[in-house]
Amino acid sequence: MTMTPPSEPTRQLIRPCTLVYGVLLTLTAATWAIGRAGLGGLDLSLLVLGFALFKGHLIGDWFMGLRGVRGIWRWVVVIWLLIPGGLITFAFTLSYRG
Amino acid sequence: MFDAGLHWPAKQQTVGLAFCLRSGVPEEMSRSDKASAVAIAADPARRPAADGVPYPPGDLAIWIFILAELLVFAIFFAAYAFARLSNTELFDHYQTTLDRDAALINTLALLTSSYFVIRGVVAAREGHNRHCARWIWGAVAMGGVFLLVKTAEYAHHLAAGVSLSTNQFYMFYLSLTFFHYLHVILGMLILAAVALKAGRGGYSAADHVGVETGASYWHMVDLVWLILFPLVYVMR
Repeated sequence: MTMTPPSEPTRQLIRPCTLVYGVLLTLTAATWAIGRAGLGGLDLSLLVLGFALFKGHLIGDWFMGLRGVRGIWRWVVVIWLLIPGGLITFAFTLSYRG
Repeated sequence: MFDAGLHWPAKQQTVGLAFCLRSGVPEEMSRSDKASAVAIAADPARRPAADGVPYPPGDLAIWIFILAELLVFAIFFAAYAFARLSNTELFDHYQTTLDRDAALINTLALLTSSYFVIRGVVAAREGHNRHCARWIWGAVAMGGVFLLVKTAEYAHHLAAGVSLSTNQFYMFYLSLTFFHYLHVILGMLILAAVALKAGRGGYSAADHVGVETGASYWHMVDLVWLILFPLVYVMR
């Protein structure tokens, strides 16, 4: 089957999504390396959580397509990430300082 | 980014026209120029980023469902973090019994599947049903990898005598990950239905809302795992 070359607007969509995919893989590898080394502590835990929240933001913006949406739907994933992200940060901070 | 709003043609047209009005498309433009301006405004890939469509890609109903699911997972995550407060040593100790390598493979599998889904949506948008089907089947296969690895993890824990009542950490680990596991199965069924329809030529450049709907659900499954993985396997 002959593959029809993608149009220019399509290429413009694929390129950034491929880049985002690369960033997601890199941050995942960094998270795994921290866990594999058995490293812990509040700072590293929050760093790993920060990686996860940033990855979630990239998924929402680029993969779920919210980047091109306006209004409340544009921010729905960011708002969701901030809720558990904030609560986890609070709980972990308490566990180290409480 | 994926032609969001194609299933609301009237709204899409309104968005395009509104863009023209806001951006001051001159009255004296020829009819073809005006049509071109409307087409650009109606296509999210060609429209200036400052503007946007009013709804996310896919059917609105799936987004209501996604929000409900995300809310449940947010409560689960918060419950885990606050339960850990009362017994930090136990959580940190039993976390070391989990297989982080398996979790890495699973994360890579889900991320790759999400990327394949994106490629499938783009193919559908171009009207290439066969390519769309191939990408989506690839995503389903990656979901299968996730299920295989996770099942092996569960088998290992069950063989070691671990259950929901073993301790608080395992109660959270098993319930959280198994709840997500069920979502992966549902997502794979949805994607398989999309791939089958695409294989029969069921989508077109003008109508591919079904692909976007399935894709949105699958990305939600991926999104949840991206928080679950560091929270349960790494953070200590």
